[in-house]
Amino acid sequence: MNVASNPLDAGSNGNGERMSQESGAAIEAQGASRYYTMGETSVHAVEDVSFSIARGEFAALLGPSGSGKSTLLNLLAGLDRLSAGRVLVDGRDLSQMDSEALARHRRLTVGMVFQSFNLVPTMTLADNIELPLRFAETPRSGRRARVQELLSSVGLAHRAEHKPPELSGGEQQRAAIARALANRPAVLLADEPTGNLDSRNGQEVMSLLSELNRNMGVTVLMVTHDAALAARYARRSLHMADGRLLPSAEVQP
Amino acid sequence: MNRQDLFELAGRNMRNARLRNALTTMGIAVGVASMVAMLSLGIGLQGFANHKLMKSGIFQTVFVTSRQDMRNMEENADAKAGEAPALNDDARNRIAALPGVEEVAPEMRAMSQVVYGDQTNFVLLAGLPWSARDEDAVETIKGNFFSSPGADEVLLQRDFAKKLETDPDAALGKTLTVRYAQRQSGDSGTSFSVERREKQFRIVGILDEQPFGGMRMISRARVFLPLQTAEAMNLMQNADAQQVIRSAPGERTYSMLTVRMKSAAYAEKVEDTVKKMDFSAYSYLDATKSMRRFFAVLDMFLGIFGSLALAVASLAIVNTLVMAVLERRREIGIMKALGASDADVQKLFFAEAATMGLVGGTLGVALGWIIGRVINFGTNLYLQRMKMPAENLWTVPLWLAAGAIVFALLVSVLAGIYPASRAAKLDPVRALRYE
Repeated sequence: MNVASNPLDAGSNGNGERMSQESGAAIEAQGASRYYTMGETSVHAVEDVSFSIARGEFAALLGPSGSGKSTLLNLLAGLDRLSAGRVLVDGRDLSQMDSEALARHRRLTVGMVFQSFNLVPTMTLADNIELPLRFAETPRSGRRARVQELLSSVGLAHRAEHKPPELSGGEQQRAAIARALANRPAVLLADEPTGNLDSRNGQEVMSLLSELNRNMGVTVLMVTHDAALAARYARRSLHMADGRLLPSAEVQP
Repeated sequence: MNRQDLFELAGRNMRNARLRNALTTMGIAVGVASMVAMLSLGIGLQGFANHKLMKSGIFQTVFVTSRQDMRNMEENADAKAGEAPALNDDARNRIAALPGVEEVAPEMRAMSQVVYGDQTNFVLLAGLPWSARDEDAVETIKGNFFSSPGADEVLLQRDFAKKLETDPDAALGKTLTVRYAQRQSGDSGTSFSVERREKQFRIVGILDEQPFGGMRMISRARVFLPLQTAEAMNLMQNADAQQVIRSAPGERTYSMLTVRMKSAAYAEKVEDTVKKMDFSAYSYLDATKSMRRFFAVLDMFLGIFGSLALAVASLAIVNTLVMAVLERRREIGIMKALGASDADVQKLFFAEAATMGLVGGTLGVALGWIIGRVINFGTNLYLQRMKMPAENLWTVPLWLAAGAIVFALLVSVLAGIYPASRAAKLDPVRALRYE
């Protein structure tokens, strides 16, 4: 696996709209809140969360199940909408975006990696990785080559024409990472990326994410409930409980 | 997402649910086939009726009579009978000079004695205009039409030919003698004399049907000769006797002129002009208008009944696509997470509906055409058994084929609106959670 080569290079997708904020935060949340109405009660999944993640940082978002970390990640990914507050990713305010702009944000600014891989099972790996390139209307001529580069970079070039059910969990997650990076996003959001993997495959995936961050400077925010994993790979950990971000002092080692 | 990617993905999705999509597409094909079959029957019948009636020349013909004639078709016409102009050669020439007029043929018929071998018969003799060579009745003639407009040749009605010969066709090429009354102009200008004449003719054809669909008086004659020959023979006409009573018996007048136009489009104008010339004129133009109206209504009903199957098929599209949205909920979530916009997802489902519509429409047109051919074949077998000529009752014109495909496409896309908007509105977070 050679993640030091250019294909996975992040933050250079050339969409031409990214603000020039080389020294600013990659992610900034200000009082971000997400409420759900269930019958007559209002559930505060994320409440008044404020934090900032610098460019090139590898951060982990820790917390027990139901603490709101996945909801927060979905808000940053532009999959969900804020009920209150502001979130800026790569300098752009998501609360001001309409549905088309949010789709563009998901397409070009962030890449997502899921616990359950979320590859389309009826498509080959190559087709799966080509999917975000199709949405970004990347010219067909360069598309296949880009897919091959990405697959080679995660060590799956020989598996290009295989469908996800024919691969191991680790291979599927590596393919999912390659797909997340297809449009060279500035930020990689990973939701329990090792949750469905055995320890050996989990290690492999974490090494890949770590190398991506170190060598290419892609900002990584990883949701996990595994404090040891966070301590080993992330340079900073954020802790959530009951929808709120806990101050560093409250975190139990 | 660009169009090529859209249809590639739509095609891939459809291949993944091959059986369901194939059945839905077949549903559309059957719907379109029933619509095409129904409409092609309507169009075929209209074409058949048009062909028959247009061939009879009835819609491009105006019948002109003098208002002096009490039998003309206008009410109170004889109130001014005395002042009305005579339908003479001058009138004939003026009408012939009107724009769009192709032929002005006087009605010429007279009782005569026909001698064939040792048989003598009294029959109605009529002059047939040269334009009658394009007549439907002439299409099925045994033998030939007249060789020239002034030939000394006759055509016989089959019934009459049967009287002359046991095998009517045996009369072809033989000669018969016609004894007739010839009008001779009188010297005084107040009278004319009538003389008995004889003339020999060669039998060139035998007619199975009555000319002009039996719609003119001359149609009922038993022996037809070229109109020009009949005029040259100066056959005494009923109108001649009436003319004696009127002021100028020396002048040749006609009981009726049949004016034939280049096309039916001129008929109305010529009819009006002739009426302004103070003659009575009548055409079957109004009958065409009602006929067109009838066929428009018929086509509409056939189209509605035919489209019912397509309406049912469109519900199948809705069902198939709604099922697809449910089944592919997670996949839609993945696509949205990867940056597909609501519009991309919506367009993808529209592309799938359109593909089913296009393929179903094309198959349906082919199927409708085949059904039409088979029924046409069956109808013609029946007609043949009934000893009637074969007819083309089913026609699928290009516009119908193209229109049916476009219609199927349109119906399919309309049927796709609900599932497509449902897919587009899917919340990606919930869709990704769906197992």
